[in-house]
Amino acid sequence: MTTQIPSLDDPRVLVQTPATIYDAIPPYAPRTEREAEFYTLRDGEMLVNMGPQHPSTHGVLRLVLKIEGERVSDLDPVLGYLHRGIEKLGENADYHHAICYTDPLEYISSLFNELAPVMAFEQLLDLRVPRRAEYIRVLSCELLRIASHALFMGWMALDLGGLTPILYGFIERDEIVEMLAALTGQRMLFNYMRIGGVNGDLNHEFLSRLGDWMSRALREIEANTTLLNENEIFVKRTRGLGVIDRRMALGLGLTGPNVRASGIPYDVRRAHPYGVYPELEFDIPTRDEGDSYARYMLRVDEIKQSIRIIDQVLHRMPDGPVMAKVPRRITPRPGRAWAAIESPRGQYGCYAISDGTDQPYRFRIHDPSFVNLQAVVPLMPGNLLADTMAVMASLDPVMGGIDK
Amino acid sequence: MRQRHDQTEIRIAAGSTVDVLRTLHDDPAFRFEVLADVAGVDTGDSMQVVYHLWSETTPDWLRVIVVDLARDDPRVPSATFLWKGAEWMEREAYDMFGIVFEGNRDLRRIYMPPDYTSFPLRKDFFIADDSARSPGQGVRHMEQVHAPAESSAPIRRSRAR
Repeated sequence: MTTQIPSLDDPRVLVQTPATIYDAIPPYAPRTEREAEFYTLRDGEMLVNMGPQHPSTHGVLRLVLKIEGERVSDLDPVLGYLHRGIEKLGENADYHHAICYTDPLEYISSLFNELAPVMAFEQLLDLRVPRRAEYIRVLSCELLRIASHALFMGWMALDLGGLTPILYGFIERDEIVEMLAALTGQRMLFNYMRIGGVNGDLNHEFLSRLGDWMSRALREIEANTTLLNENEIFVKRTRGLGVIDRRMALGLGLTGPNVRASGIPYDVRRAHPYGVYPELEFDIPTRDEGDSYARYMLRVDEIKQSIRIIDQVLHRMPDGPVMAKVPRRITPRPGRAWAAIESPRGQYGCYAISDGTDQPYRFRIHDPSFVNLQAVVPLMPGNLLADTMAVMASLDPVMGGIDK
Repeated sequence: MRQRHDQTEIRIAAGSTVDVLRTLHDDPAFRFEVLADVAGVDTGDSMQVVYHLWSETTPDWLRVIVVDLARDDPRVPSATFLWKGAEWMEREAYDMFGIVFEGNRDLRRIYMPPDYTSFPLRKDFFIADDSARSPGQGVRHMEQVHAPAESSAPIRRSRAR
């Protein structure tokens, strides 16, 4: 006896699949007040799943959008697709190993991910870092900040449908990343920061690439920005969109360029200086509009400030060792430490507790994009579906950091 | 109150969380307007919730630790009435430690799947190959909840109070 199995290519065949937690409407009763409110549909509203494999969500993020016609009335970001449990892994590794785990968190700017834990562990150990190492940290981090912002400019345009700027963004990033590869030996997950200094001094290849790039950096950045700054489509789609005012920015706990675009000059490099930043001259650019366009322009301004910092660092670089004397096996005295730095996306913090063993007892990573992404929920209602990406891209989240 | 490096630490009980946070945020003498972090901590004996705050009146970080939450039912008032941005950080602490933030409108799991039952960052949750610390005792099923009394491996207790 043969049973006729209908072909799945046949458009008349309806394939019934059981509801899963990945469906827009989850197969369980709502558990919180907010979930109940979100999943109750009024007339004319529908839910649309965006992601987790959507190309514009900057990683694997799922947005459940509640839309009414072409307008978004509410949305619910669903995280966790990239969750690797870095904190738990760090608590089960020794202090040197825990730093390696932080590299793939925010993979666009790995050096910042290493810097905060390293600074927290140095506090636990009461360790002083050689001045040359501090300068090298600032130099490499500011380079990576430029790379990250250059890539952001491309991404933002890509999310709005412009293909060209990301090619130029990647050219800029590639030069910097090749430079850092000469310094650290890796292109993306550098693993360069060490407790008590950095892994290796500046070398000839790095410096010659850096000198070559610095001679034309400002000009190239300016050239790249002309692609977008006054592009009519770009400006029309971003200006006045997703406005965050001062109160809202503080209430949401935004940090980094997103808060500075709302007129609050909060930058950890100035608010709570670390490393050698107090000795360097630079401005904290702010803008008052608080819309997507301001957030874009602010990052362009920041690139210029970073070039200024690099210039000063190269002129003031002291001689000396790049590592303090640190034992292989680190056993800090019991205590707690919090270190925060200004990463390209905002305030990146690490909270470490030592219990006297060679493993951190608590290894907490605070990622700025995790907090910044929350802003998309109050910003979206009332906007067009196609503007979801323009708002989200301007907040510059990286899912690797958000999902930890 | 303790001072170390550039951090000031205060320890409070769960009942006074709302008053302390509101005073720190609103009082013109403090103005701690930036909530830098909300973290859960499992000390092995009790739970803690740690807030890091920043104010333009002082360059130092302020660390507010809510101490001595019961390990089997940790409850603390939510900070979302002051900082809406605390919502996801509290969701994370709930997801990882099971700390219930009363007043948070959206307290559900954020990283782990909705049908997940245990709390991964608790100290009685052993990762599968935690053999570095206790050879031979490390391999456990990840989703199994272990009461501390029944598990053979000792849970790690903090000596940093």
